[in-house]
Amino acid sequence: MLINSAVGKLPQNKIFLVVPAYNEEKTVALVLEDLCQRSFNVVLVDDGSRDGTYDIVKDMQNKYPNHIFIYRHVINRGLGAALKTGIAAALKNGAEYIVTFDADGQHDPHDIETVCEPLINKDADVVIGSRNFSDMPLSRNWGNYLMNTLTMIFYGIYVNDSQSGLRAFNANSARLLKLNYHGYGVSSEIISEIKKNNLNLKEVPIKTIYTSYTLEKGTNTSVGLKILFKMIIDIFKKF
Amino acid sequence: MLSAEGNNKHLLTIKMSGVKMIYQPIGVIIGILGLIISIIRFRSGKSSAGMLGFWILVWAITIVISIFPDSTTFFANLFGIGRGLDFILIIAILGCYYFIFKIYNMIEQVESEITELVRQIALNNENENNKNDSQEDDPSNKLES
Repeated sequence: MLINSAVGKLPQNKIFLVVPAYNEEKTVALVLEDLCQRSFNVVLVDDGSRDGTYDIVKDMQNKYPNHIFIYRHVINRGLGAALKTGIAAALKNGAEYIVTFDADGQHDPHDIETVCEPLINKDADVVIGSRNFSDMPLSRNWGNYLMNTLTMIFYGIYVNDSQSGLRAFNANSARLLKLNYHGYGVSSEIISEIKKNNLNLKEVPIKTIYTSYTLEKGTNTSVGLKILFKMIIDIFKKF
Repeated sequence: MLSAEGNNKHLLTIKMSGVKMIYQPIGVIIGILGLIISIIRFRSGKSSAGMLGFWILVWAITIVISIFPDSTTFFANLFGIGRGLDFILIIAILGCYYFIFKIYNMIEQVESEITELVRQIALNNENENNKNDSQEDDPSNKLES
Protein backbone atom coordinates (compact mmCIF):
# COMPACT_ATOMS: atom_id res chain seq x y z
CA MET A 1 0.00 0.00 0.00
CA LEU A 2 1.45 3.32 -0.98
CA ILE A 3 1.07 6.15 1.49
CA ASN A 4 0.12 9.12 -0.62
CA SER A 5 -2.11 11.30 1.47
CA ALA A 6 0.42 12.58 3.98
CA VAL A 7 2.64 14.00 1.29
CA GLY A 8 -0.07 14.82 -1.20
CA LYS A 9 1.17 18.38 -1.61
CA LEU A 10 4.66 17.41 -2.71
CA PRO A 11 5.69 16.86 -6.31
CA GLN A 12 7.34 13.55 -5.44
CA ASN A 13 8.53 12.75 -8.89
CA LYS A 14 10.68 15.88 -8.84
CA ILE A 15 12.23 15.13 -5.47
CA PHE A 16 15.29 12.95 -5.22
CA LEU A 17 16.54 11.73 -1.89
CA VAL A 18 20.27 11.20 -1.71
CA VAL A 19 21.04 8.55 0.86
CA PRO A 20 24.73 7.92 1.52
CA ALA A 21 25.29 4.56 3.18
CA TYR A 22 28.35 2.92 4.66
CA ASN A 23 27.81 -0.37 6.46
CA GLU A 24 24.21 0.31 7.32
CA GLU A 25 22.77 -3.16 6.89
CA LYS A 26 20.84 -2.87 10.13
CA THR A 27 18.79 0.13 9.17
CA VAL A 28 18.90 0.72 5.45
CA ALA A 29 16.04 -1.63 4.58
CA LEU A 30 13.63 0.10 6.94
CA VAL A 31 14.69 3.54 5.84
CA LEU A 32 14.31 2.73 2.15
CA GLU A 33 10.99 1.01 2.73
CA ASP A 34 9.66 4.12 4.40
CA LEU A 35 10.87 6.37 1.62
CA CYS A 36 9.65 4.23 -1.25
CA GLN A 37 6.23 3.83 0.34
CA ARG A 38 5.97 7.59 0.03
CA SER A 39 6.82 7.39 -3.65
CA PHE A 40 10.05 9.35 -3.47
CA ASN A 41 12.94 8.77 -5.84
CA VAL A 42 15.91 7.48 -3.89
CA VAL A 43 19.52 7.70 -4.99
CA LEU A 44 21.39 5.39 -2.70
CA VAL A 45 25.16 5.70 -2.69
CA ASP A 46 26.89 2.68 -1.25
CA ASP A 47 30.21 4.07 -0.07
CA GLY A 48 32.22 0.87 -0.17
CA SER A 49 30.22 -1.03 2.41
CA ARG A 50 31.71 -4.31 3.57
CA ASP A 51 28.55 -5.69 5.11
CA GLY A 52 25.28 -6.67 3.52
CA THR A 53 24.19 -3.12 2.67
CA TYR A 54 24.54 -3.47 -1.08
CA ASP A 55 22.68 -6.79 -1.27
CA ILE A 56 19.88 -5.46 0.88
CA VAL A 57 19.51 -2.39 -1.28
CA LYS A 58 19.56 -4.52 -4.42
CA ASP A 59 16.64 -6.49 -3.03
CA MET A 60 14.79 -3.28 -2.24
CA GLN A 61 15.40 -2.17 -5.79
CA ASN A 62 13.70 -5.26 -7.10
CA LYS A 63 10.76 -4.49 -4.88
CA TYR A 64 10.50 -0.86 -5.98
CA PRO A 65 12.11 -0.88 -9.41
CA ASN A 66 11.48 2.66 -10.46
CA HIS A 67 12.19 4.37 -7.21
CA ILE A 68 15.67 3.28 -6.18
CA PHE A 69 18.85 4.16 -8.04
CA ILE A 70 22.02 2.56 -6.75
CA TYR A 71 25.52 3.96 -7.12
CA ARG A 72 28.40 2.11 -5.66
CA HIS A 73 31.83 3.36 -4.59
CA VAL A 74 34.27 0.48 -4.87
CA ILE A 75 36.28 1.85 -1.93
CA ASN A 76 35.01 3.84 1.02
CA ARG A 77 35.78 7.51 0.40
CA GLY A 78 33.68 9.29 3.01
CA LEU A 79 30.45 11.19 3.40
CA GLY A 80 31.45 14.11 1.20
CA ALA A 81 32.36 11.88 -1.71
CA ALA A 82 29.13 9.89 -1.38
CA LEU A 83 27.04 13.06 -1.32
CA LYS A 84 28.87 14.42 -4.33
CA THR A 85 28.18 11.28 -6.32
CA GLY A 86 24.58 11.16 -5.14
CA ILE A 87 23.89 14.76 -6.04
CA ALA A 88 25.51 14.37 -9.46
CA ALA A 89 23.46 11.24 -10.10
CA ALA A 90 20.24 12.91 -8.98
CA LEU A 91 20.85 15.87 -11.27
CA LYS A 92 21.68 13.51 -14.10
CA ASN A 93 18.32 11.83 -13.60
CA GLY A 94 16.46 15.09 -13.78
CA ALA A 95 15.98 16.04 -10.15
CA GLU A 96 14.42 19.38 -9.37
CA TYR A 97 14.78 19.10 -5.63
CA ILE A 98 17.44 17.13 -3.84
CA VAL A 99 17.23 16.11 -0.19
CA THR A 100 20.10 14.46 1.62
CA PHE A 101 18.82 11.87 4.05
CA ASP A 102 20.66 9.60 6.48
CA ALA A 103 20.57 5.84 6.16
CA ASP A 104 20.80 5.13 9.87
CA GLY A 105 17.22 5.94 10.77
CA GLN A 106 17.98 9.23 12.46
CA HIS A 107 15.67 11.19 10.20
CA ASP A 108 11.92 11.17 10.07
CA PRO A 109 10.51 10.98 6.53
CA HIS A 110 7.76 13.42 7.50
CA ASP A 111 10.46 16.06 7.73
CA ILE A 112 11.13 15.76 4.02
CA GLU A 113 8.04 17.82 3.47
CA THR A 114 9.23 20.26 6.13
CA VAL A 115 12.50 20.92 4.38
CA CYS A 116 11.09 20.93 0.87
CA GLU A 117 8.33 23.41 1.49
CA PRO A 118 10.49 26.55 1.50
CA LEU A 119 12.12 25.38 -1.72
CA ILE A 120 8.83 24.79 -3.47
CA ASN A 121 7.48 28.11 -2.26
CA LYS A 122 10.67 29.72 -3.55
CA ASP A 123 11.45 31.09 -0.09
CA ALA A 124 14.90 29.61 -0.11
CA ASP A 125 17.53 27.94 -2.29
CA VAL A 126 18.84 25.68 0.42
CA VAL A 127 17.11 24.39 3.52
CA ILE A 128 18.86 22.80 6.49
CA GLY A 129 16.88 20.84 9.00
CA SER A 130 18.00 21.80 12.49
CA ARG A 131 17.81 19.32 15.26
CA ASN A 132 16.58 20.32 18.67
CA PHE A 133 19.68 20.36 20.83
CA SER A 134 17.90 19.90 24.11
CA ASP A 135 17.02 16.38 22.99
CA MET A 136 20.65 15.54 22.55
CA PRO A 137 23.15 14.12 24.99
CA LEU A 138 25.52 16.74 26.38
CA SER A 139 28.67 15.52 24.69
CA ARG A 140 27.03 15.79 21.30
CA ASN A 141 25.78 19.22 22.24
CA TRP A 142 29.23 20.60 22.89
CA GLY A 143 30.54 19.02 19.72
CA ASN A 144 27.77 20.63 17.71
CA TYR A 145 28.25 24.05 19.24
CA LEU A 146 31.95 23.80 18.54
CA MET A 147 31.37 22.85 14.91
CA ASN A 148 28.81 25.63 14.51
CA THR A 149 31.30 28.14 15.89
CA LEU A 150 34.14 26.89 13.74
CA THR A 151 31.91 27.00 10.71
CA MET A 152 31.06 30.57 11.47
CA ILE A 153 34.70 31.56 12.00
CA PHE A 154 35.93 29.92 8.84
CA TYR A 155 32.96 30.36 6.58
CA GLY A 156 31.07 33.32 7.87
CA ILE A 157 27.58 32.04 8.59
CA TYR A 158 26.24 30.86 11.93
CA VAL A 159 24.00 27.90 11.36
CA ASN A 160 22.12 26.37 14.26
CA ASP A 161 22.87 22.88 13.12
CA SER A 162 25.74 22.96 10.67
CA GLN A 163 26.25 19.20 10.88
CA SER A 164 22.69 18.16 10.19
CA GLY A 165 22.34 15.42 7.63
CA LEU A 166 18.91 16.48 6.43
CA ARG A 167 19.38 19.21 3.85
CA ALA A 168 17.37 20.20 0.79
CA PHE A 169 18.52 21.96 -2.36
CA ASN A 170 16.86 23.05 -5.52
CA ALA A 171 18.56 21.87 -8.69
CA ASN A 172 20.35 25.15 -9.38
CA SER A 173 21.89 25.33 -5.94
CA ALA A 174 22.94 21.71 -6.12
CA ARG A 175 24.71 22.39 -9.39
CA LEU A 176 26.62 25.29 -7.89
CA LEU A 177 28.09 23.30 -5.01
CA LYS A 178 31.77 22.54 -5.44
CA LEU A 179 32.55 19.99 -2.76
CA ASN A 180 36.08 18.85 -2.05
CA TYR A 181 36.00 17.47 1.46
CA HIS A 182 35.61 13.71 1.43
CA GLY A 183 34.58 13.08 4.98
CA TYR A 184 32.33 14.62 7.60
CA GLY A 185 33.80 18.08 7.02
CA VAL A 186 31.55 18.33 4.01
CA SER A 187 28.74 19.60 6.20
CA SER A 188 30.70 22.76 6.92
CA GLU A 189 31.87 22.94 3.35
CA ILE A 190 28.29 23.00 2.14
CA ILE A 191 27.73 26.05 4.34
CA SER A 192 30.81 27.65 2.82
CA GLU A 193 29.53 27.01 -0.69
CA ILE A 194 26.17 28.49 0.24
CA LYS A 195 27.89 31.66 1.36
CA LYS A 196 30.17 31.80 -1.68
CA ASN A 197 27.29 31.51 -4.10
CA ASN A 198 25.04 33.82 -2.12
CA LEU A 199 22.32 31.25 -1.86
CA ASN A 200 19.27 31.84 0.24
CA LEU A 201 19.53 29.58 3.27
CA LYS A 202 16.68 28.73 5.58
CA GLU A 203 16.76 26.56 8.69
CA VAL A 204 13.71 24.65 9.81
CA PRO A 205 13.33 22.50 12.92
CA ILE A 206 13.17 18.77 12.43
CA LYS A 207 12.73 15.77 14.62
CA THR A 208 15.63 13.50 15.49
CA ILE A 209 15.28 9.88 16.32
CA TYR A 210 18.02 8.96 18.74
CA THR A 211 18.65 5.33 19.31
CA SER A 212 21.75 3.83 20.88
CA TYR A 213 22.79 2.96 17.33
CA THR A 214 22.69 6.46 15.93
CA LEU A 215 24.46 7.87 18.96
CA GLU A 216 27.59 5.89 18.21
CA LYS A 217 27.99 7.29 14.75
CA GLY A 218 28.44 10.70 13.31
CA THR A 219 30.63 13.56 14.36
CA ASN A 220 32.24 13.23 17.74
CA THR A 221 35.15 15.04 19.33
CA SER A 222 38.01 13.32 17.55
CA VAL A 223 36.36 13.70 14.16
CA GLY A 224 35.69 17.34 15.04
CA LEU A 225 39.34 17.86 15.85
CA LYS A 226 40.38 16.30 12.56
CA ILE A 227 38.04 18.64 10.71
CA LEU A 228 39.46 21.63 12.59
CA PHE A 229 42.98 20.53 11.69
CA LYS A 230 42.00 20.29 8.03
CA MET A 231 40.38 23.71 8.05
CA ILE A 232 43.58 25.22 9.43
CA ILE A 233 45.78 23.44 6.94
CA ASP A 234 43.56 24.72 4.16
CA ILE A 235 44.37 28.24 5.16
CA PHE A 236 48.08 27.51 4.90
CA LYS A 237 47.63 25.87 1.54
CA LYS A 238 46.49 29.10 0.08
CA PHE A 239 50.07 30.42 0.31
CA MET B 1 110.27 23.67 30.23
CA LEU B 2 106.60 23.32 29.49
CA SER B 3 104.04 23.16 32.30
CA ALA B 4 101.72 20.14 32.34
CA GLU B 5 98.71 22.32 31.65
CA GLY B 6 100.35 23.98 28.75
CA ASN B 7 101.24 20.59 27.30
CA ASN B 8 97.68 19.29 27.50
CA LYS B 9 96.20 22.38 25.96
CA HIS B 10 98.64 22.14 23.12
CA LEU B 11 97.81 18.48 22.50
CA LEU B 12 94.09 19.21 22.62
CA THR B 13 94.40 21.89 20.02
CA ILE B 14 96.27 19.58 17.69
CA LYS B 15 93.66 16.84 18.26
CA MET B 16 90.77 19.19 17.52
CA SER B 17 92.31 20.55 14.39
CA GLY B 18 93.08 16.96 13.35
CA VAL B 19 89.40 16.02 13.60
CA LYS B 20 88.46 19.09 11.66
CA MET B 21 90.93 18.20 9.02
CA ILE B 22 89.46 14.75 8.33
CA TYR B 23 85.97 15.78 7.39
CA GLN B 24 87.13 18.74 5.41
CA PRO B 25 88.49 16.83 2.42
CA ILE B 26 85.60 14.34 2.72
CA GLY B 27 83.14 17.21 2.52
CA VAL B 28 84.87 18.66 -0.51
CA ILE B 29 84.89 15.30 -2.30
CA ILE B 30 81.19 14.74 -1.56
CA GLY B 31 80.45 18.23 -2.79
CA ILE B 32 82.33 17.71 -6.04
CA LEU B 33 80.69 14.32 -6.60
CA GLY B 34 77.32 15.87 -5.93
CA LEU B 35 78.00 18.60 -8.46
CA ILE B 36 79.03 16.09 -11.10
CA ILE B 37 75.99 13.88 -10.53
CA SER B 38 73.62 16.84 -10.59
CA ILE B 39 75.04 18.04 -13.88
CA ILE B 40 74.83 14.57 -15.39
CA ARG B 41 71.18 14.26 -14.32
CA PHE B 42 70.39 17.61 -15.84
CA ARG B 43 72.12 16.69 -19.09
CA SER B 44 70.18 13.45 -19.36
CA GLY B 45 66.94 15.31 -18.79
CA LYS B 46 66.09 13.87 -15.39
CA SER B 47 65.98 17.19 -13.62
CA SER B 48 64.95 20.67 -14.63
CA ALA B 49 67.10 23.77 -14.77
CA GLY B 50 65.58 24.97 -11.53
CA MET B 51 66.48 21.77 -9.72
CA LEU B 52 70.01 21.94 -11.13
CA GLY B 53 70.40 25.47 -9.81
CA PHE B 54 69.15 24.35 -6.41
CA TRP B 55 71.55 21.42 -6.17
CA ILE B 56 74.53 23.45 -7.41
CA LEU B 57 73.83 25.82 -4.54
CA VAL B 58 73.61 22.97 -2.04
CA TRP B 59 76.87 21.35 -3.14
CA ALA B 60 78.68 24.68 -3.41
CA ILE B 61 77.71 25.47 0.17
CA THR B 62 78.87 22.02 1.24
CA ILE B 63 82.26 22.64 -0.34
CA VAL B 64 82.63 26.13 1.11
CA ILE B 65 81.71 24.96 4.59
CA SER B 66 84.14 22.06 4.31
CA ILE B 67 87.02 24.32 3.35
CA PHE B 68 86.10 27.16 5.72
CA PRO B 69 84.24 25.58 8.62
CA ASP B 70 84.38 28.78 10.59
CA SER B 71 82.22 30.51 8.02
CA THR B 72 79.25 28.80 9.63
CA THR B 73 79.97 30.66 12.83
CA PHE B 74 79.67 33.89 10.93
CA PHE B 75 76.24 32.99 9.60
CA ALA B 76 75.16 31.59 12.94
CA ASN B 77 76.01 34.85 14.64
CA LEU B 78 73.95 36.71 12.07
CA PHE B 79 70.92 34.86 13.39
CA GLY B 80 71.90 35.08 17.01
CA ILE B 81 72.86 31.42 17.27
CA GLY B 82 76.07 30.49 19.06
CA ARG B 83 77.63 27.75 16.99
CA GLY B 84 77.84 27.09 13.30
CA LEU B 85 76.78 23.51 13.82
CA ASP B 86 73.65 24.59 15.66
CA PHE B 87 72.81 26.81 12.75
CA ILE B 88 73.14 23.96 10.26
CA LEU B 89 71.06 21.65 12.42
CA ILE B 90 68.33 24.20 12.79
CA ILE B 91 68.20 24.76 9.04
CA ALA B 92 68.06 21.01 8.56
CA ILE B 93 65.13 20.62 10.98
CA LEU B 94 63.19 23.45 9.40
CA GLY B 95 63.84 21.89 6.03
CA CYS B 96 62.42 18.62 7.30
CA TYR B 97 59.26 20.35 8.53
CA TYR B 98 58.82 21.96 5.15
CA PHE B 99 59.20 18.65 3.34
CA ILE B 100 56.78 16.92 5.69
CA PHE B 101 54.25 19.64 4.99
CA LYS B 102 54.79 19.18 1.27
CA ILE B 103 54.38 15.42 1.54
CA TYR B 104 51.18 15.86 3.53
CA ASN B 105 49.82 18.01 0.74
CA MET B 106 50.86 15.46 -1.86
CA ILE B 107 49.04 12.72 -0.01
CA GLU B 108 45.91 14.85 0.19
CA GLN B 109 46.16 15.41 -3.53
CA VAL B 110 46.47 11.69 -4.17
CA GLU B 111 43.47 10.99 -1.93
CA SER B 112 41.45 13.53 -3.88
CA GLU B 113 42.35 11.85 -7.10
CA ILE B 114 41.44 8.42 -5.78
CA THR B 115 38.08 9.74 -4.67
CA GLU B 116 37.48 11.24 -8.08
CA LEU B 117 38.27 7.89 -9.71
CA VAL B 118 35.97 6.00 -7.36
CA ARG B 119 33.18 8.46 -8.05
CA GLN B 120 33.60 8.23 -11.79
CA ILE B 121 33.52 4.44 -11.59
CA ALA B 122 30.31 4.64 -9.58
CA LEU B 123 28.67 6.94 -12.10
CA ASN B 124 29.92 4.95 -15.07
CA ASN B 125 28.49 1.76 -13.62
CA GLU B 126 25.08 3.25 -13.13
CA ASN B 127 23.53 1.07 -15.78
CA GLU B 128 24.98 -2.05 -14.25
CA ASN B 129 23.56 -1.22 -10.87
CA ASN B 130 20.22 -0.02 -12.13
CA LYS B 131 18.99 -2.60 -14.59
CA ASN B 132 15.40 -1.65 -15.21
CA ASP B 133 13.03 -2.73 -17.96
CA SER B 134 13.76 0.46 -19.84
CA GLN B 135 17.46 0.98 -20.41
CA GLU B 136 17.35 4.26 -22.27
CA ASP B 137 19.21 7.25 -20.90
CA ASP B 138 16.23 9.49 -21.39
CA PRO B 139 15.55 10.92 -17.91
CA SER B 140 11.84 11.27 -18.39
CA ASN B 141 11.56 7.51 -18.70
CA LYS B 142 12.91 7.05 -15.21
CA LEU B 143 10.33 9.25 -13.55
CA GLU B 144 7.35 7.00 -13.73
CA SER B 145 5.61 7.65 -10.44
